[in-house]
Amino acid sequence: MIKQEMILRNTLRQLGFESQEILPQGGFGAVLARAGVGKTAFLVQLALSGLLNEKKVLHISLNDPVDKVAIWYKELFRLLAAGDETVNKTAYLESLLPNRFIMTFRVEGFSVAKLEERLSDLSEQGIFTPSIVIIDGLNFEESKIAEIQELKQMAERRGLQVWFTVQTHRHEDAAADGLPLFFAPLSHFFDIMLELRPEHADVHIKVLRGGGAAGESALLDPTTMLIKENL
Amino acid sequence: MGSMIEKVRNIGISAHIDSGKTTLTERILFYTKRIHAIHDVKGKDGVGATMDSMELEKERGITIASAATYCQWKDYDINIIDTPGHVDFTIEVERSLRVLDGAVLVLCSVGGVQSQSITVDMQMKRYNVPCIAFINKCDRSGANPDRVVSQLRSKLGHNAVAMQIPIGLEADFQGVVDLLSMKAIYFDGPNGDVIRMEEIPTELLETAQSKREELIDAASLFSDELTEAILEEVEITEEMIAKAVRKGTLIRKMTPVLMGSAYKNKAVQPMLDAVLNYLPSPDEIENTALDLDRDEAPVLLSSDSAKPTVALAFKLEEGAYGQLTYIRVYQGNLEKGATIVNTRTGKKTKVGRVVRMHADQMEDIEAVPAGVIGALFGIECSSGDTFVSQGLNYTMTSMFVPKPVISLAIVPKDNKSQINMSKALNRFTKEDPTFHTHVDEETLETIIEGMGELHLEIYVERMKREYNAEVETSKPRVAYRETITQRGEFNYTHKKQTGGSGQYGRVAGYLEPITEGDEDFIFDNQIKGGLIPTNFIPACEKGFQLSMAKGPKMEFPVTGVRVVINDGAYHAVDSSDMAFQAAARGAFREGYARAKAVIQEPIMKVVVESPTEFQGAVMGLLNQRRGMIVGAQDEGVMTVIEAQVPLSEMFGFSTVLRSSTQGKAQFTMEFAVYRQVPQSVAEKLAEEFAQKKKNES
Repeated sequence: MIKQEMILRNTLRQLGFESQEILPQGGFGAVLARAGVGKTAFLVQLALSGLLNEKKVLHISLNDPVDKVAIWYKELFRLLAAGDETVNKTAYLESLLPNRFIMTFRVEGFSVAKLEERLSDLSEQGIFTPSIVIIDGLNFEESKIAEIQELKQMAERRGLQVWFTVQTHRHEDAAADGLPLFFAPLSHFFDIMLELRPEHADVHIKVLRGGGAAGESALLDPTTMLIKENL
Repeated sequence: MGSMIEKVRNIGISAHIDSGKTTLTERILFYTKRIHAIHDVKGKDGVGATMDSMELEKERGITIASAATYCQWKDYDINIIDTPGHVDFTIEVERSLRVLDGAVLVLCSVGGVQSQSITVDMQMKRYNVPCIAFINKCDRSGANPDRVVSQLRSKLGHNAVAMQIPIGLEADFQGVVDLLSMKAIYFDGPNGDVIRMEEIPTELLETAQSKREELIDAASLFSDELTEAILEEVEITEEMIAKAVRKGTLIRKMTPVLMGSAYKNKAVQPMLDAVLNYLPSPDEIENTALDLDRDEAPVLLSSDSAKPTVALAFKLEEGAYGQLTYIRVYQGNLEKGATIVNTRTGKKTKVGRVVRMHADQMEDIEAVPAGVIGALFGIECSSGDTFVSQGLNYTMTSMFVPKPVISLAIVPKDNKSQINMSKALNRFTKEDPTFHTHVDEETLETIIEGMGELHLEIYVERMKREYNAEVETSKPRVAYRETITQRGEFNYTHKKQTGGSGQYGRVAGYLEPITEGDEDFIFDNQIKGGLIPTNFIPACEKGFQLSMAKGPKMEFPVTGVRVVINDGAYHAVDSSDMAFQAAARGAFREGYARAKAVIQEPIMKVVVESPTEFQGAVMGLLNQRRGMIVGAQDEGVMTVIEAQVPLSEMFGFSTVLRSSTQGKAQFTMEFAVYRQVPQSVAEKLAEEFAQKKKNES
């Protein structure tokens, strides 16, 4: 039931994408929003969908400690599974957790070389080989094209689907396509770009780029951070 | 003894093992003139630090039992609880925090915020204890107080604000700059007791000014007066800043950070000043009791010595003169000769000797007033009991006590040891609610249960040293348990006709897993129309509950079962309590067989701190032990790896970890959750169980 519920609620499906598998192996997806709008919550929902589809998810946070990231998963799972009384939710979530690995770095301590080294440590010992990677908190204003390029090469080599949060600012000049200026030179690396924009009491999710779904939009409930159903 | 409640501080000194808190306490006692010589923790002089009163603690250089002590600083009374640093003994820390009003979080300036500091900090949050931080060991190589301040912010989420900056670091550490008075403070004399105030060294002036700005900025959030002074650019006084910092600290929105080196006798006195200036007095803390006469309604207690007494016994110790009960008085006055009532037992007791403790020495006093910690002699009670004046029926909030996860059998070596062992166990179980003991009905062995390998090891050694009880121990056993995973129906008739009056009872219904909450057993009676007469229902419940003690699968205790009975039958003559109890047992077995029972094992949250170069090896070790790695936190030179590992796989882990990391990694472990064992382990357990049964028969 929980699985069915989560598949129905699947954020990407609601946005008009045909399946969760929208990113190719080695593909990049970005969720753009201002601070506090719900980028992390959104990506954790994508990660949970991945876990329910038996994918291995590596969550990299450059802001929060491991415990805090784990709480995101627990809370969002609780909200998503709220209507289902048939199963033991704690046990169900626990059955998914072996497929999740949280890695945190200090922003200044993060580098592609270090990540690659960690990933090799994990995969060579047969501990964990992810297929989806969430990178939360990378500073794109300071990130150099070379760093993103390296990440891209690593993702392609390892067949990873990588989702990023991209923080934008309220009073910021935009390029012609509506993307923040600092992001424009990097945007060609990304296959999908979604924007979360608060308007009145809701948060709109807009597809800026991505397959046939570009231009589609959906709403996020700001109290639960879950996508609103039946739009 | 000072009498004004606002001049009393009840503080704890909490920290990671080896961050130097016992040394710090020792220096505090020296500067407050409670002791006249300084001894080190692992003393070369064979005396050992005063607060480590147990021999074993001296030998291992760690603090196990928290000793309460009293001292005076600048006409304030300070009661100090020295708390243990190892995770196995956290019940001691929790009990201390329950009775404290404030705490000093001691951190090592080299090691910084380590996993145990995180556990201790969580406990402080749970009991809402305001704290100040003391960054110790600034004289050590690699000392970096700035890094520790930022860790306090990033790892513990404290609004940590430095009140001082160091003058020199590592071997060159000379003293501190006080950012309130903007003076350099040096600590002269062989024991650092001669304080010399000087102008700030020129090279530190700029840093001091910018740090003072940061401090004022942070403090201004808690004081309009200070904010106005900043805006109007008038002189900012020391008092203004101190008042604002105090306000922020009391509501746990700010953590003032002091620094120094207890071992080198530097900057302990300003830390004591900070205890007076920033930590609360007992009447600034809200304490509530539960009124048992009004359905446990919370009652706010006041630190008024004229009101009826409410006091909590938070620690027991067997001393040379009998049982010593450490007590915190929350309301009223606990006087020699007064009659008090133990709320749990209802027993009245006359207060005999009242003392104030200084580690293992004591001082007789007439009374313990509200807000103060003292000790009583000759009071029969258990740890956690509440004492009140006659006429009151209050209990202090019950303390969270985790269930034991590990056990081992102990066998006394001779008859004398047998007697001494009983005495020791009797005392330990009274002192420590996480330590349990019972006799196994089948093997007749004495089983001790606790929170970890080290926890039990320490007790076994204490038996030997303090009670002269030599015991042999078995291999530690993990507390497995059984539970069901699906609904299982039952319809069982117990019928016996063997001469005399017969036995008859039929019970029908189902068992199902409890999916929410952490209750172990729920009994739901849905019998209608008197199919089972009401007077037999308690017998049915008892029958089911007794069956939970030993699961039909492998004789482990059963948990998480909801029993619903909705049908049954009785016989006017042959039905009895005994018959229905037997029917319930049969029904349980029947339902259980259909409910897909599984074995669960305790899973521990293991946190390893390792130099980054060994993180791969550590993850490998955890993985080999069926560990699920939750995450890895990169902290620059160190990596913190958090995993969930079955307790059964953790025996001997410390040795393996040491050898794989050149002794540079350390770990903490605490119970996290019970989880179903994998098939291979279940099969192994089944084999062992079959073998045991075979041997028995």
